[in-house]
Amino acid sequence: MVEQRKTVYRHSLTTRVTHWVFFIAFLVLVSSGLQIFNAAPYLDASDKTNPTRRVLQISSPAAGAGTTTVFGHTFSTSGWLGWTDDGMGGKGARAFPSWITIPAYQDLADGRRWHLFFAWFMVIGGIAYIVSALARRELRELVLRPRDVPKIWPMQLYYLRLRKEPPPHGKYNPLQKAAYTTVLFIFAPLIVLSGLALSPGFDSWMPWIVQGLGGRQFARLWHFAAMIGLIGFLGVHLGAVVTTGVLNHLRSMVTGYYRLGAHDGTGV
Amino acid sequence: MKRRLFIATGLSATLAACSQIGTKLNDNAGFHHALESAEGLNERVIGTRGLVREYSASDISSDFPVNSLPTPSDDSYVRLANGGFRSYALTVDGLVDYPQRFTLSQLTHLMNLTEITRHDCVEGWSVVAEWQGVRLSSVLGLVRPKPEARYVVFHSYDRDDNGTSYYESLNLVQAAHPQTLLSLRQNGKALEIDRGAPLRLTVPTQLGYKSAKWLRRIEVTASLQGLYGGKGGYWEDQGYEWYAGI
Repeated sequence: MVEQRKTVYRHSLTTRVTHWVFFIAFLVLVSSGLQIFNAAPYLDASDKTNPTRRVLQISSPAAGAGTTTVFGHTFSTSGWLGWTDDGMGGKGARAFPSWITIPAYQDLADGRRWHLFFAWFMVIGGIAYIVSALARRELRELVLRPRDVPKIWPMQLYYLRLRKEPPPHGKYNPLQKAAYTTVLFIFAPLIVLSGLALSPGFDSWMPWIVQGLGGRQFARLWHFAAMIGLIGFLGVHLGAVVTTGVLNHLRSMVTGYYRLGAHDGTGV
Repeated sequence: MKRRLFIATGLSATLAACSQIGTKLNDNAGFHHALESAEGLNERVIGTRGLVREYSASDISSDFPVNSLPTPSDDSYVRLANGGFRSYALTVDGLVDYPQRFTLSQLTHLMNLTEITRHDCVEGWSVVAEWQGVRLSSVLGLVRPKPEARYVVFHSYDRDDNGTSYYESLNLVQAAHPQTLLSLRQNGKALEIDRGAPLRLTVPTQLGYKSAKWLRRIEVTASLQGLYGGKGGYWEDQGYEWYAGI
């Protein structure tokens, strides 16, 4: 006998559409962004280029060798970073390997075309999502409030199986709220503003934003750091999807309907 | 731990697939055309709306990379350089009422702007330098563009290994921007040959490739079509955006 379980309408059309748009656009923005990064594979915590304030440098000191230097500590990363496949069947001095860049071969002009095209999908999707979430009063369930803060650690203990019951919470638990709040109010604005701050045209418009981020090279650093943060979020987010019923989640992200069961009440 | 490895592998595989599909699509003319459509939107949204930041003398970079050929190989340029540019004259013509040739001493007399600005390369690096010269708008004011004029094209002595000439272009609004400069001097000295001597363009509101070196001629036109590759610049003809403000 097939067990009948209740399904609930969980994700609005806007949420579903924007989630798929975000997913595709984010993958494209990461891979085209790494293509752009490869043209100047270093990051400085300064306005103008300044090797004395270098935070990250990926280079190839000799044919066959790739190194990555983080805060002055150099690691050998041959084959992964610095000396990698060039997308044309060979290997060469290239920061990020061809398998992770768009286009695969070194092409700054086209990397920029992809990046500056798909950034619009992210921006328009982001605006649609925020407006829709505000209109449906969904943000109040997502945003971390001061009263949620003491519950973050107990929730972490529950996830680590060091505590039997999660602390009482609403639709989203305190860790989820902390993650969503970080993405919505820190990473998303930071990645948009730091991206704009790389543009000399934007500098003629709002130079104070460029200066507020520490200058143009610092903006590159912020842009990269926000990308790392968003990749981390995506990993955790998809981790939660994978461990709480992939098909059920995927279906609810297509049709909107989520089948209640072992994980009912837990959002992703 | 296994779960994390699974997620990381899955994400990496997805990115790799994304790169593969993206590379295929990149070679598709129709898709590439669609990608290029963002440029007009970017120009409309970002544009050039004011003045870029100006710096103080202490901000000037000690090192300024030369990201072009060190010197043009053009015969006429070599002759000019050997003569210390004494016989240099900039031609300004095209759709103008008063086409003129400006000698170096005339240009020096016209000098009316010193600016310390950041030069942002499309590759990602930035350097700060002081530029001194004549506002492009002042030169255009002397030659008087005709009503049908839309673009200002900058012809350079520079040619690449294939013999393709370097050139750039601005529209009349960008050309009239108060920080758009015909530079004669950099950091207090006459331009060095590898910096674009005797005269180069400085456009701090756009990426570095707009700032053409070794200017030979300025031509005012109604259109960019029919000039070189037709896209309005050496790098533009190779796929870079004409609107280099982003």
